[in-house]
Amino acid sequence: MSALMAAVCTPMPMGDWRHLLAVIWDFLSLSLFSLGGGNTLLTEYHYLAVDKYCWLSSRQFADIYALAEAAPGPSSMIVGLLGMGAAVREGPLWGVLSGLAAEVAILLPSTLLMVAASLSWNRLRDSPVRVAFERGLGPITLGILFAVGLKILRISDHDTPAYAVSAVVCVLMLRTKISPLWFMAVAGLLGWMGVVNH
Amino acid sequence: MPARSAQEPPAGELLAKPGLLELFLGMQQVALSSFGGGLSAWSERIVVEERRWMDDEAFITGLTVARLLPGPNQINMAIYIGSRFHGLSGALVALAGMLLLPFSLLMLLGLGYYYLHEALAVDRLLAGVITASAGMAMSMGFKIAGSYSRDPVALLLAALSFLAMTVLHVRLIPLVLVAGPLAMAWYWPRRRPQP
Repeated sequence: MSALMAAVCTPMPMGDWRHLLAVIWDFLSLSLFSLGGGNTLLTEYHYLAVDKYCWLSSRQFADIYALAEAAPGPSSMIVGLLGMGAAVREGPLWGVLSGLAAEVAILLPSTLLMVAASLSWNRLRDSPVRVAFERGLGPITLGILFAVGLKILRISDHDTPAYAVSAVVCVLMLRTKISPLWFMAVAGLLGWMGVVNH
Repeated sequence: MPARSAQEPPAGELLAKPGLLELFLGMQQVALSSFGGGLSAWSERIVVEERRWMDDEAFITGLTVARLLPGPNQINMAIYIGSRFHGLSGALVALAGMLLLPFSLLMLLGLGYYYLHEALAVDRLLAGVITASAGMAMSMGFKIAGSYSRDPVALLLAALSFLAMTVLHVRLIPLVLVAGPLAMAWYWPRRRPQP
């Protein structure tokens, strides 16, 4: 199916400024919807990068998701890698600039809101809006997180051993305090040995 | 928890508020220490115990705000710490301290991936790492699911949001814009009737 998608999907040239603004607007507007720590946006990132703008194949998306998870620092920096994927055909410098622009766009609105909330928290703490927001958006976030998990599972795992590794990691994440780095190291080794395949 | 030496001020006493450079360096230390996870534990150790910029209560309030508001939790925490001392400029400096090195490294890794992944055959390695990442992503939902097990309305909301995204392919923004206000109305705190 992904081969079929690739055939009908051609990456839009990033030289057109109207196109560039549309992309920046997409990330800016997603920023305020990153509930529950940001992982909730992954299906949207996949939609933008693979289906809407065709910067990456679904397989490449899975690759850079793994890269962002394994690298030190917040895994939400995957947006920088998406931005890089959008422009890396024009050269490494454009790739880095585009990655930086995407990261700034996704962080800017939520940063401004967070500054405002930090400075006025004493007033916000007991307001009914805060209570309703926290209790109401929690369950929606829960549903989105499961949808995101399923999406990542679908684009990552294509054979039974792969699904088995994911299931074991999921259980160990919930039941133990083992660092996720170990899971990625062991799983990476399994991939390298050819036990799990794309 | 590291033992405190005699030279350090007694526990509970805060030091002077950090300047912008100190803020930058402190956040950079947090980012570098937390390689492999446990970022909020490291930032508590560095910000509260070592550098004494704020007490535990202020720190925990920060965690609450950071989790509640949109944006990545660790990044929001840096913004909270920075804005507490220097407003918007403090927030941006703290953010820069937290992201500069990890983001630079990630850009290098990204260039390596986009240009060299075929030559270096990292595909097989990544194919394995991805299966672990997928398991980690799945675990995030289960982690918070338990706290809603006694609230049927919450479970219904979660199930409907899940189905809307997976079966009906509703995009996130319209989903939150429609379901969010409805859920907020349902959970709006009601004043108890006066006896």
